[in-house]
This record gives sequence, structure tokens and C-alpha cells, in this order.
Amino acid sequence: MNAHRIVGGVIHALSGAIGLLAFIYPFFLQTQRGSAINFAHSQDALLVTVALVGLSLMAMLVELQGQAVSAKTVALLGVMVAIASVLRFIEVAVPIPGGFSPIFAPIILAGYVFGGRFGFLMGIFTLLLSGLITGGIGPWLPYQMFTAGWVGLTAGWLSNIIPQGKNLKFEAVTLSAFGFVWGLLYGLIINLYFWPLASGPVEQTWVSGISFKEILTRYAAFYAVTSLGWDLARAVGNAALILFLGAPTIRALARFQRRFYFEVSPAHD
Amino acid sequence: MIDTRVWLLWAVTILALASSIRNPLYVIILLLIVTVVGGACNPDRERGAIFLPLRFAATTIPLAALFNGLTVHLGDATLFHLPDWLPLMGGAVTLEALIFGATNGLILTAIFGGFTVFNQVTPARDLMKLTPRAFHEAGVVLSIALNFIPQTSRSLKHIREAQEVRGHRVQGLRDWLPIVVPLLVSGLERSMKLAEAMVARGYGGTSDEELPLRNQALLALGLAALLLGWLGHLFHIAWPAAAWGLVAVGAALIAGVVWSASRSVSHTVYRERRWAVHDTLAALGCGLTLVVALTQQEALYYSPYPHLTWPVFDPLVGLGILGLLAPAILTAQAGSRQKKVASNR
Repeated sequence: MNAHRIVGGVIHALSGAIGLLAFIYPFFLQTQRGSAINFAHSQDALLVTVALVGLSLMAMLVELQGQAVSAKTVALLGVMVAIASVLRFIEVAVPIPGGFSPIFAPIILAGYVFGGRFGFLMGIFTLLLSGLITGGIGPWLPYQMFTAGWVGLTAGWLSNIIPQGKNLKFEAVTLSAFGFVWGLLYGLIINLYFWPLASGPVEQTWVSGISFKEILTRYAAFYAVTSLGWDLARAVGNAALILFLGAPTIRALARFQRRFYFEVSPAHD
Repeated sequence: MIDTRVWLLWAVTILALASSIRNPLYVIILLLIVTVVGGACNPDRERGAIFLPLRFAATTIPLAALFNGLTVHLGDATLFHLPDWLPLMGGAVTLEALIFGATNGLILTAIFGGFTVFNQVTPARDLMKLTPRAFHEAGVVLSIALNFIPQTSRSLKHIREAQEVRGHRVQGLRDWLPIVVPLLVSGLERSMKLAEAMVARGYGGTSDEELPLRNQALLALGLAALLLGWLGHLFHIAWPAAAWGLVAVGAALIAGVVWSASRSVSHTVYRERRWAVHDTLAALGCGLTLVVALTQQEALYYSPYPHLTWPVFDPLVGLGILGLLAPAILTAQAGSRQKKVASNR
């Protein structure tokens, strides 16, 4: 393994750690409710976090771009992001129940076929571009980009476990289950960054100094009351989309992957 | 027309202010500012656009008030009691809790409204132009995607029409298959042609160079400093200044690598937009409000618990918030000047 790859791995790990910390940082805030100064500082922390997540995303992008991106990858990524962003229009224009969004299925399928790096980039670019064109820019965007990037990245890891091209039905069913899990996880992760700052009943809110088990119990109660129904619609939607459209889409993407990334090896005597 | 960078500062200031504010009087001022700026700076917007934040407010404010009122049982002014056996909701429903919830809804509306105005007044292409040159490949990807969106939408329409002519009707999820797969395949074919055209025009001649190892190492160091500094701040180490110093060093290292990577990319602009006096004035207005948001956090705070009291209003803080009106005033001035010139002609 050369030095570039080792340092690249370190950058990915550090960037991932900052992203993870951005979601769980409020658990470490030593605030007492009701105090003006502490409240204000907890709000500052939200701004600082958005800035740090932005910096971490920038570092990750510079590193990923530095890995000699070919014209084919750039063009393919651009077109795939366009297709997924058009699907976001459907989400905005048509009243779809709950948190269902058709953008996750293409991110998962592209990450699975073209690899984790492609999936990560597709996740962040799809959320960024669709945010630009549908007016979805706001402090939530870096968090959404990071999480959508993780969806694509982990879909790429899945391709290392499942034998590709052997049993398309099995692949579609597995990816459908994967889409279901990420449908719930996406909401579970995105909620995390503001949960400790939200007001609500004692059984559902975070308070400084409580045990980890208590934190989990309270967050589970908060999630069940406020988000589970919403996220279930996303999870079921992801699973259904991949189940019905997954196999032919994987076949088409895999065919183009062979066309895009063919290599000519010189014959050896 | 105000520069996109100023609009970015305006949106960040709204976010900073809305994050610090809990006093409903200041929140109402902020909402009025957002409405005035939206109306003055984007007069050509679609009729429905103005109703977007209103619709959001109509849903969010009552819901936030109701949720907080039913689940937080603090405050002295009890309106009515819900039976104690009701999980979470059992207990006194107080006026203080309803008002705190409604204020939360107002703040969310201000953030949503501010970013709605920002999205309306800044074209996506102008925002993309702000991308540092170091991210030129990301910029190319986004440009391709942005240009392909209308084509993809047209393709989707054509494929649907072609399938309808063949008698195909979309009734269930499975019926999308004959539409989605041709859409995907035609998109991928286009990307193949585009990649060939890009290579033929010399794309990739410079992008084959990897990021230098030194820059990669500096990025890793910058991220490590950010992470350590942030952890130090969160876990309250003995020297808070050292934690923030580490964060600053990390941010500077990352910014340095981005700057260095930007220098290696040549960039040409057909017609560069010049920074004008009104941009400086608008930026100063936003800066004034940003200073208020960052330094007057105690004045911006208000809690209705445990007794409901009238929120304190500081005229100086109110004036400081009015700095956000600068884009609207400057745009209106420019408009009246243009009208005067036109009538003189």
C-alpha cells in the first residue's frame, strides 16, 4: 500500500469521525436548561458544528478529487446526479406520504455498482444540487450531504460482501432490505444533531449528566413519538423502489460499468 | 443587483440571529424584515412563492405550540388539565408552554423564510461560481448535472409519451419500470458521449495529477487538529483557548491546502461582475446585525417560564437587527434611480 493511500485512508477516517461527532456532539454539552448564557452557548455550538462539518466536507472533497478523476467518472457522476435530482422534483411536486424520497434508491444502486467512493460523491452532490434547485439550502444541508454520502459509501461496501452478477434477485432483495434500514437510519441520524437542543417532555429530552442507557431510552422515546411514522414511509418507499426497479437497474448500470471502465492489458508471451 | 456573496452573508446572519433569538418581539421584527426583503429584491417571483413561508408558518407555529403545550407541563398559568394516565401528555397545559412553542415555530419560520428568499434571489449558477477553484471537478460535475436536468426532464416526458402511445399506463410502482430503465440507459449513453467529447477536448490532461503527498498530509493534520480541538472544547479541557487555537490551526491548514490547490487551476471568466458600493453597504448592514447576534445574546433571550412576563425590548438591539434590511433599501433605491433615468430619456 503506497503512502498516498495510507494518508487518504487517514483523511477519510478523520473526516468520518468529525461527521460522526457533529451528530453526537450535543450529548457532550454541559448546559443547564433555563439559563440564558448556557442556552446561547448551546446555540453557538450549532453554528460552530455547521462550520466544522463544512470544513470536513471540503477536506474530503479535495482528497477525493485528488485521486485522478477521469472524464468518464466526471460525466457519469454528473448525469447520475441529474437523474437523481430530477427525482427530487417528484418529491417536492407530488404529495408523497411521510419522509419518502425517491433519491435514495439511485444513490444506493449507483454506490453498489460503481463502488463506495462513487456512491459517497453521488450522495453529497445529489443532496447539494437538489438543494440548490429546489430551494433546500439551509443549515441542515451539510448534515444531509454527509448522511447521504454515507448511504452511498456503505452501499459500495455491500458490493464487497455480495457476489455481484450471480443472482440479481438476491441482490435486489438484499439492497431492498439495506434501503429499508437506511430509510430509518437517515432520520435517526439527522434528528440527532438538534435533539438535545429541542424542548419537550422529560422522558424524551436530553439532560446533562444522565447515563448512556438513559440517553438511549429517552432518544428512542423521542424518535418513536416524533419521527418513526415519518421515517417508516421513507424506509418502505426505498425498499419497494429497489425491490421493483432494482434488478433491471443493476443490470443496466453493470453493463455501463463494464463499458466505462474497460482496461486494455498488453498480451504477455 | 446585490452580489451573491452578500446574499450568502445575509443568509448566514439570519441563521446566526435566529439561533440566538428567543424574544418573540425580535423574532417578529426578523420575520417582517424577511418579508420586506423578499418582496423588494425579487419582484418577478411567481405568485405562489410568497405563500410558501406563509404556508410553512400556518402549519409550523400551531403545531409547535400544540406539541410544546401538550408535552411540557411547566408554567403557572394553567389553562386546563389533561388526565394524568395519558402517557406524555397527562398534566397541566399552560399558557407559558404554548407561547414558548409558538416562539419556536416563529423562529423556524424565520429561518425557512430567510433561506427561501436567499434561494429566490440567487441563481444556482451564481452560487456555483463561488465554488473555490480547488473544487473545479466538483464544479464540472455540478455543471454537467445542472445542464442535464432539463434534458433529463424532457427525456422523462418523451419516454412517458412514447409508452402511453403503446398503451402503457402508470398505475403501480412496477409500471415505472418501462420508464425508469430507458431514462437511465439514455442518460448513461449521453454521459458516454460527453466523456468522449471531454477527452477529445483535452479534459484529464491535468486532472491525472494526484494531490501532492505534502498537501494530503497537511489535510490530514488539519482534520486531526479540528477533531482534537473540538473534542477539547466539548470535554472542557483546562485551557479552552488552546482548544479553539487547535480548531483555528486546523481550519487554517485546510484553507491553505484549498488555496494551494486553487492556484494550480487556471480559471477564466467571460464577464466578471464588479463589486460595487451598494454591495459594501449591504455587507456592512448584515455585519452590524451579525455583531448584534454574536454579542447581545442575553438581550435576545427570553423565557416565559415560570411566570409569563412581557418580553423586554431594547431599541438599540432592534435597530441593529434592522441592518438586514439593507439589501431591500439599496435595491429599492437602485430601482427608483433606474426609473428616473428612463423617464428623463
